[in-house]
Amino acid sequence: MIKKYLAGGVLAALMAVGSVAQAQDALVVSTWGGSFRDLIDENISKEFTRQTGVPVKYVTGGTIDRLNKAKLAGSNPESDITFTTSHIGFLYVASNLFEPLDFKKIPNYANIVERGKLSPFHIGSWAYVYTIGYRPDLVPANIKFDSWNDLWNPALKGKLASPDFDPSHIITVSAILSGADAKSWAKGQDKLKALKPNFKAFYTNDANSQQLIATGETPVQVLLSMNAYYMISQGVKINVVIPKEGAVLGIDSMGIMKGTKRQELAYKFMNIALSPDVQSKIVAMKKASPIIKNAKVSPEDAKLPGVFTTEQQWNTQAILIDHKFRAEETAAWRKWFTENMMN
Amino acid sequence: MRSRLKFFLVFPSVLVALGVCVALLSVFQFSLRAYIPGSLEVGGFTLANFTGLSKPIYQTAFWNTLALSVETTLWTLLVGYPLAYALVRVRDRLLKSFILIVSITPLFLGEIVRTYTWIIVLGSNGFANSLLLKMGLVDTPLPLMFTKLGVLIALVHITIPVVVLMLATGIAHIDRDYEKAAQSLGAGPIQTFLTVTLPLSMPGIIAAMTTSFAWTFSAFATPQMIGGGRVPTISTLVYQLGLASTNFPFAASLSVAGLLFTTAALAMMGVGTRRLKKLGAH
Amino acid sequence: MKHRPSLPLALRIAGPALIVLLLGFVLLPVIVVTIASFNEKALLSFPPQSWSLKWFERALTYPDFRGGFRASIIATLWSSTIALVIGTGMAIAIKRFEFPGKNTLEAILLSPLVIPHFTLGLGLLILVSQLGAGRGYGLLIACHVMLVLPFVLRSVYVSMENLDERLEQVASSLGASPVRVLFTITVPLLSPGLFGGWLFAAIMSFSEFTASLFVTTQATQTLPVAMYNYVREYADPTLAALSVLYIFTTAVALIIANFFLGLGRILNIEESH
Repeated sequence: MIKKYLAGGVLAALMAVGSVAQAQDALVVSTWGGSFRDLIDENISKEFTRQTGVPVKYVTGGTIDRLNKAKLAGSNPESDITFTTSHIGFLYVASNLFEPLDFKKIPNYANIVERGKLSPFHIGSWAYVYTIGYRPDLVPANIKFDSWNDLWNPALKGKLASPDFDPSHIITVSAILSGADAKSWAKGQDKLKALKPNFKAFYTNDANSQQLIATGETPVQVLLSMNAYYMISQGVKINVVIPKEGAVLGIDSMGIMKGTKRQELAYKFMNIALSPDVQSKIVAMKKASPIIKNAKVSPEDAKLPGVFTTEQQWNTQAILIDHKFRAEETAAWRKWFTENMMN
Repeated sequence: MRSRLKFFLVFPSVLVALGVCVALLSVFQFSLRAYIPGSLEVGGFTLANFTGLSKPIYQTAFWNTLALSVETTLWTLLVGYPLAYALVRVRDRLLKSFILIVSITPLFLGEIVRTYTWIIVLGSNGFANSLLLKMGLVDTPLPLMFTKLGVLIALVHITIPVVVLMLATGIAHIDRDYEKAAQSLGAGPIQTFLTVTLPLSMPGIIAAMTTSFAWTFSAFATPQMIGGGRVPTISTLVYQLGLASTNFPFAASLSVAGLLFTTAALAMMGVGTRRLKKLGAH
Repeated sequence: MKHRPSLPLALRIAGPALIVLLLGFVLLPVIVVTIASFNEKALLSFPPQSWSLKWFERALTYPDFRGGFRASIIATLWSSTIALVIGTGMAIAIKRFEFPGKNTLEAILLSPLVIPHFTLGLGLLILVSQLGAGRGYGLLIACHVMLVLPFVLRSVYVSMENLDERLEQVASSLGASPVRVLFTITVPLLSPGLFGGWLFAAIMSFSEFTASLFVTTQATQTLPVAMYNYVREYADPTLAALSVLYIFTTAVALIIANFFLGLGRILNIEESH
């Protein structure tokens, strides 16, 4: 009998100890997982912790997943700072999830490029493109992808992948190839449906995309330039091409969550993210485009497709979809894409 | 005194039951409310969520879910019965223990680990294809990931432990005297098996069938991870709509439709198994 | 007279061969994942070209896995214990007493066995989002209690079948109050079954994934949810290493349990001679 009570007591103690809330004072950053989390961790968080002594914890997940979680958390945000895409950032704003920013507290904001100025609530952190990436060893040698239209080549049947969480790139491209643009995307629907046989899979996030092209499961992808360069650094041969119509520009952004108790620390974090040193490291490590004008970029990196360092590149090689429009249209695009393409 | 005791014994359960009811009611209620895009609020009452289910992708999902459940059940029975039989009838203690451990260890691993191990086997660079390519049986990797076949294989594997246990229980409770009687009347071993053992293990078979069907119907991790979005099932779509899109009303209507579907399917199985029970009745 | 007809030779070979084949199928992913976990390269591939133990180190130190393990332990211990207490009380009440709505209540409590976990998870998610309540440990534990209670109930039912009611009646006729009978006769006699029920509930709770995916946040995510998120974010063999640890720990635990307790009896698959 006594043994039973003893066991019960130990059990109760274990449960009690385990349930005490962990009140650790860390800055919580919401970001994509995998190589993006590592990017932030090694370049921004390390410097942040070095300067302030405060550790950094992460909430990770896909872009839309984290938006939904933030909406569900309401006035009790899970994170202090959120990294998200520029257009989805507008959805955060619309749901009243971001704090209005006091730019005086971010001195390095003075150096940001025009495209990095997004809204009073969120600012750019780095840029990249979604473009065509392919395994030259698994694709017929005569296909060079000078144009987006090359994706429709019948020789590529069952070889293509694109994101399932954001079909805006391929939808816009189909519209452009049909003589329209993102706003009149309905005109490109038939063209896009014709691409269906070439699709093998739809990747759900960055790691999935990386895995699919690295294993050769889908040797051709509409993919994020930074993911491509990451795979190249891991020894996978990938060719990154900017077709003549341009690559779809992507800008990642950050905002401070409404209701956070660590505003001052959050501002510090953002400022460090925009500092020339950190931006240079981000470009060197992940081949992103810097969001500030005074970051040092090596000549080799500047030559890479998708790394924009001059105004001319921003203007001619990038297809920019209006952020707000893209934000509002995302849900409809996803629904149409799921029902018509992923089936 | 008795009634006070009754109260204390029953009341906590009432609370739990309330929890279950409230959760289900939330789903029912939301299935009838209008979805406001981008918001967690919902509008007035509408049937739009149910009419929206007529789109092809949802029809495909229903069909996939049903087909997978039936096929998994059939294959698992085929694979599981010999294992269960061996588990019960083998004499050697060590061998018995070995079969037992191998059969039921997967049960404790959880869906994620089990599904993940199959990803490594089924991928283009995975074990299955490496073997097939090396042996020269195929020229290009067989597509197994992102296909119904891949999901089926993994689902069968995941369902085997439970089915083996239920079948084994059924087989273990067969009175051997019936078999001895048949043999003493001149029946060979195969005939004895087909006319005595198999029918007498019907209760176990029925229990295994129902459980396997219900489990597979609500499986999520496996179709999600191995199907990768190309094998839509009711569960993966509810996840996509409910968590990845916060379209609660639509996810709810899909859940409700799925529930009605399962109930109908299980009811039909009930009719079918009553016929099977007659075969094993004594 | 012992008369055992011998099986034809073909069957005597085909039978065991079939079993070996089937067992091979069951073991296949385990063997493959074990080999893959030692792969030195970060990308999943087969067969590995170079070998390393680094993924095991990562599996054990990755913060999300540690947090996930902690959350799983908390959720499992609380929910299986609560479910045990509630479930035992309910099972005893059902078998020994009469009260209105008995069958309906039982049906509701057993329903999570057939209701898909994603439906229950969705319902709870909708509920808390409407109430504006957060998704904390309370919600997670409540959810798990609902999911594992049926297992406790069934386990106690089986135990009660084997309980001789006359022992309770004797105690009663000797003047013991119902409460006294309960705590001095019924519960102690049920203990092995109660322990089995608790154990089964704990295992179900620890490995539960689908409903937990809906009701957890990053802070409360259980180990299966953390593992799922990892696969979606990283393409390396860390999860293979974690799976290997999981599998071998479980197998060893089961072998020990079988040796000391005889799992065959507990799982009700022993023949009665």
